[in-house]
Amino acid sequence: MKTSNRLAPILVIALTLVSLTWQTADCGETLNYRLKWLFNTSVVGDLYAQDFGFFQRAGLTVNVKAGGPERDAIRELELGHATFGVASADQVIRARAKGAPVVVIAQLFQVNPLQWIYRGVKPAINTPSDLKGRILGVTFGGNDETIMRTLMARASLTEKDVTLFSVRYDYTPFYQDRVDIWPCYRNAQGIMLADKLGQAGEAVRFFNPADHGITFVANSVVTSAKTLERNPEMVQAFAKALISGWEASLMPENRDKALAVLRKYNRDTPEELRQKQLDATRPLVLPESGARVGTIDLKGWKQTETIMLEQGLISKPVHVEKALFPGGKPL
Amino acid sequence: MLGRRILQFFLIFALGLFGLMGVKYGLGLSDYVIPGPGEIITTSRAVAHDYFFDTLNTLMVAVIGQAISIFMAFFVGITARKSTWAGTLIKAAAYNIQAYPIVAVAPIIFILLGDGFTSRLLIAAMICYFPLLLSVIGIMAEPVTDMEHFYIATGRMRWQLEVKIRAFENIGKLTTVIAGSSTLAMAGTIVAEFIAANQGIGHSIRIALYQSDLSRILTALFLIGLFLSIYQEILEGVGKRLTSGWILPKGVESEDL
Repeated sequence: MKTSNRLAPILVIALTLVSLTWQTADCGETLNYRLKWLFNTSVVGDLYAQDFGFFQRAGLTVNVKAGGPERDAIRELELGHATFGVASADQVIRARAKGAPVVVIAQLFQVNPLQWIYRGVKPAINTPSDLKGRILGVTFGGNDETIMRTLMARASLTEKDVTLFSVRYDYTPFYQDRVDIWPCYRNAQGIMLADKLGQAGEAVRFFNPADHGITFVANSVVTSAKTLERNPEMVQAFAKALISGWEASLMPENRDKALAVLRKYNRDTPEELRQKQLDATRPLVLPESGARVGTIDLKGWKQTETIMLEQGLISKPVHVEKALFPGGKPL
Repeated sequence: MLGRRILQFFLIFALGLFGLMGVKYGLGLSDYVIPGPGEIITTSRAVAHDYFFDTLNTLMVAVIGQAISIFMAFFVGITARKSTWAGTLIKAAAYNIQAYPIVAVAPIIFILLGDGFTSRLLIAAMICYFPLLLSVIGIMAEPVTDMEHFYIATGRMRWQLEVKIRAFENIGKLTTVIAGSSTLAMAGTIVAEFIAANQGIGHSIRIALYQSDLSRILTALFLIGLFLSIYQEILEGVGKRLTSGWILPKGVESEDL
């Protein structure tokens, strides 16, 4: 009896290890693709690729899985719960700093959709210095806090010059005008907030950090270095199929098909808003240069790393360029 | 000398850490998924001061929240102990309110009361209250026939006396339930802080989660467990004193029974 009591914890650990190992082995058949956020317009290309057979034609069985606030695609890659995932650049850099073998195979957003919305009646924010004296919404610990602190540093503003307001999922403080500027995804929540305020007769503006020299790379497609090393053809096939899906989803002639996909996965958003969101997503994903969707902005990645170093979010350089494999091929 | 609960906590926490390290090294996971001992120690040192006061802040709210929930549970439990129409209605209302998950109701509380102290307190009390209520109702609705019969027969029974008799007979159960409910009060406060507040260890855990920093989360969990063990140890100590002071004759220790 005493021996079995002693063995119990060992058994629990052994079972955990076996279950984790089993999940790692299992992902050879169906490729789990963990998104960063819930199904909405920001993932239209991923859903389009799945629903219109782009993966199937590439000989792949892919299960596109919704993300969420407590989901971390990079962890899932390492634990073998997913083969591909979507992560923001700061997540990738942080993970690399801690030795996670994660690599980037495509950059979905060429312009970071994370911007700040504010009421049109308020004085315009033309430079970061115009933030002085305002109440700024930030998600403490989130990448919007990093971006805002960088903007403040560039404008030589300290916390004494502004009021930082803790942002959660509830927009009430912004609706009540208790906060001057509120972080949101320009193409998703930005459209919804603008619509709500528009109904109340209020116009809005957006403050885009990229317009002020802050390039902080957003959602990118990641996989593990091991997967890339062991099966580069599969990674390349996945990247090609996914990018083709994204390109097709953003073509004006496929607008109705893309909206039908969004309708299927995101039923709660009104049709009119979905259309606006899709139109707002296009310029954020399609590179201005005319290059292919998914192009990796090396300069942007390096700046993101520099910002994180400046903000003390990583203690030493990670040389992020070593983690970039556009389309599954070396940079 | 460390109390029993604190020692048990150290043991369980150490076992948990060993388990995590077993998974980490067994599967060859990076520090991003599970941090190594070196990183845990470095991070703990860096955040210990702030997290200590954050946990203290959370514990203070939890203690007040628990006190409120004890008062509410006794009030409702005593009022609803009779099988009268009013008693049944109060019981039904108390059960129905609890049917809504607090996490779903919490955003409404934050919209109405803001994200400060009051909201945290209310959510802590709501999470802690129901298990307490069940125990109190169970105890208060159960007649102690042997003793109550005498007072009823002599026409001296009052509701205050009835409550006293039933509490007296179940004092051990009551103190155990109250000590145990402190865990729920603490959990409730942390949930509230996690959802919307800007203070406390729940808020710090949320930030650490955003930054995928498990070392910070482990530090927070250690402090939460430690503070809770100390608080429970105190509650149990108070309970023992109350029991021995109320029930036992002078010179007899509760352990002697």
